[in-house]
Amino acid sequence: MIEILAIPGVILLIGAALLSFFSEKLRPALFLIFPLLAAAVIILRPEGYSVTGSLLHYDLVLMQTDSLSNLFGIVFALGAFVAGVYAFHMKELGQQICALGYAGGALGVVYAGDLLTLIIFWEIMAVASTWLIWAQRTPETDAAGMRYLIYHILGGGLLFAGILWHSVVAGSIAVETIPMEYTPANILMLLGVAINAAVIPLHTWLSDAYPKATLTGTIFMSIFTTKTAVYVLIRMFAGWELLVFFGAAMAIYGIYYAVICKDMREILSYHIISQVGYMVAAIGVGSELAVNGAAAHAYNNILYKSLMFMAVSAVMYSTGTSKMFHLGGLYKKMPWVLGLYVVGGLSISGIPLFAGFVSKGMVIDAAGYGGYETIMLVLLVASVGTWLSVGLKLPYFTWFDKQDYEGELKPVPLNMYIAMGILAFACVFYGIFPNALYTFLPFETDYQPYTVYHLVEITQIALLTFVGFWLLRKKLAPELTTVLDLDWFYRKAAPATRLVFVQKVDTFYGRVEDGIQASARYLSGKFQNPMRWLNPFTDEENEASSYSPAMEVVMSFILLCFLIFAIIYFL
Amino acid sequence: MKKIHWIILGILFVITLVLEFTVLAGYDSHWWNAIPAFYAIFGFVMCYALVYSAKFIAKKIVNRDINYYD
Repeated sequence: MIEILAIPGVILLIGAALLSFFSEKLRPALFLIFPLLAAAVIILRPEGYSVTGSLLHYDLVLMQTDSLSNLFGIVFALGAFVAGVYAFHMKELGQQICALGYAGGALGVVYAGDLLTLIIFWEIMAVASTWLIWAQRTPETDAAGMRYLIYHILGGGLLFAGILWHSVVAGSIAVETIPMEYTPANILMLLGVAINAAVIPLHTWLSDAYPKATLTGTIFMSIFTTKTAVYVLIRMFAGWELLVFFGAAMAIYGIYYAVICKDMREILSYHIISQVGYMVAAIGVGSELAVNGAAAHAYNNILYKSLMFMAVSAVMYSTGTSKMFHLGGLYKKMPWVLGLYVVGGLSISGIPLFAGFVSKGMVIDAAGYGGYETIMLVLLVASVGTWLSVGLKLPYFTWFDKQDYEGELKPVPLNMYIAMGILAFACVFYGIFPNALYTFLPFETDYQPYTVYHLVEITQIALLTFVGFWLLRKKLAPELTTVLDLDWFYRKAAPATRLVFVQKVDTFYGRVEDGIQASARYLSGKFQNPMRWLNPFTDEENEASSYSPAMEVVMSFILLCFLIFAIIYFL
Repeated sequence: MKKIHWIILGILFVITLVLEFTVLAGYDSHWWNAIPAFYAIFGFVMCYALVYSAKFIAKKIVNRDINYYD
């Protein structure tokens, strides 16, 4: 029992349950203890440690550790801790509970040794994260949260259906690599995971909901959902070639929207899709270098992407807007936030000495040397777009462009700076000492990112992209627009969707129900007295009380036969 | 951007070119390694291509009024 309570995911769920018993003052500090406890458990448990249980006739593996789950476990615990520091000033109980429960779900998934445990934690994540959108409490976010929840219920349903089917066909519910066969069970599971990984065209929940979540909620969301899906893809679908092409398409698709969008949080949200695209493509390549690259990129991505979201949320906290149209010229008033953002921006763009340089290099090399040279070039185009959109455009139009920002500014709380500082340090640390990360990777590696070739490659790309940006920056100037995406089909077409999928279905079921009732009425009327059928040549009413003894014997005999048959059948 | 910034960037670029034609002269792992200053051209051209095509997509297809969904 005590082992079950000491599972990292469960620790955070217990924490979430306990939070409500404490006062508003204690809660933020208490919030930080549980991720630290989970991290301690992760570090103390040896690789290969497992906790088992049983449900009905299934043997469950509630926790199983190896280097891959530890890699994600550590970074999730660290992420929850740092996001907790960032949200230290936020006192709302509901958000605190849901954020901790959400992190618990994510940690539960990465340590789940069987698919049933996995789906339970998976669903906890979906439900808990929805509240981080609803907590904004505006009609717009209410609707967005509902769309998000429906999408994830669909994803969870597909995954669960796939798991049940798989358990029958394969006879196993272990979380393990699945051979590349497009069977219905595998396709259902892959679709369920693909929704959480925001694989296009199933990505719209992300770009729709993330920009609308609460300031601190977005940080948690940027850390967990897509990265747990990446973990499951690495675990189960490594080497599925289809993923290479979908990953590359995601990388480009996300970039286009990051270039087009003018809202800071929208830009970063679309950019998540692009970054996860790198990971998905690498998982599809499936070589040792590629899988290491995907895992390392997920790890680093959590560090710098949440750092960037934090910096942007700090600007929002201070100015009250995320629209770059209203911003610009903040560099004199928020220089520290700018500096911290730039560390994230340089990391994500793969500039040398920052974390992204190492992992992005691994992914792109893995594609190039894995026989996918075209995909490598596509990923390089996405690198250009990354540097252009989140490395240059976003900071330029937020902190520069104008001489001075003229609106009111609310001071940014110290805890936000501390959280960003921790992540910025991590970004630089892992950039300079990549070996610190290598020890966690699923396969042994001595990958050398700092070669002359890599340095020349990235420096030339970065320099000339910068020149291009500088010449074209007026073309990217912010304006107030709504950017359409595939969610248009279910948002704008909601009345039609409701007609086809709700009202029509409802009418159909109504008709069927009426029909069944009418036929039941007809049949019960007809069969209410079988004597009318057996003895049609009389006008008498054939009341049961007036049956002749002979008829009673026949009827009793028939009933007796039924009884005997029933007894024989069941015995 | 002041003049000095451009000069620093220019010097960096020249260093990469020197390295490419000395240390990396015999390097050949992809077909594009044969093209001189490939990554510089690639970065510049792709930046232009991305900005113009994104601008086109935005204007023709995806951009709407800010209150479109309200």
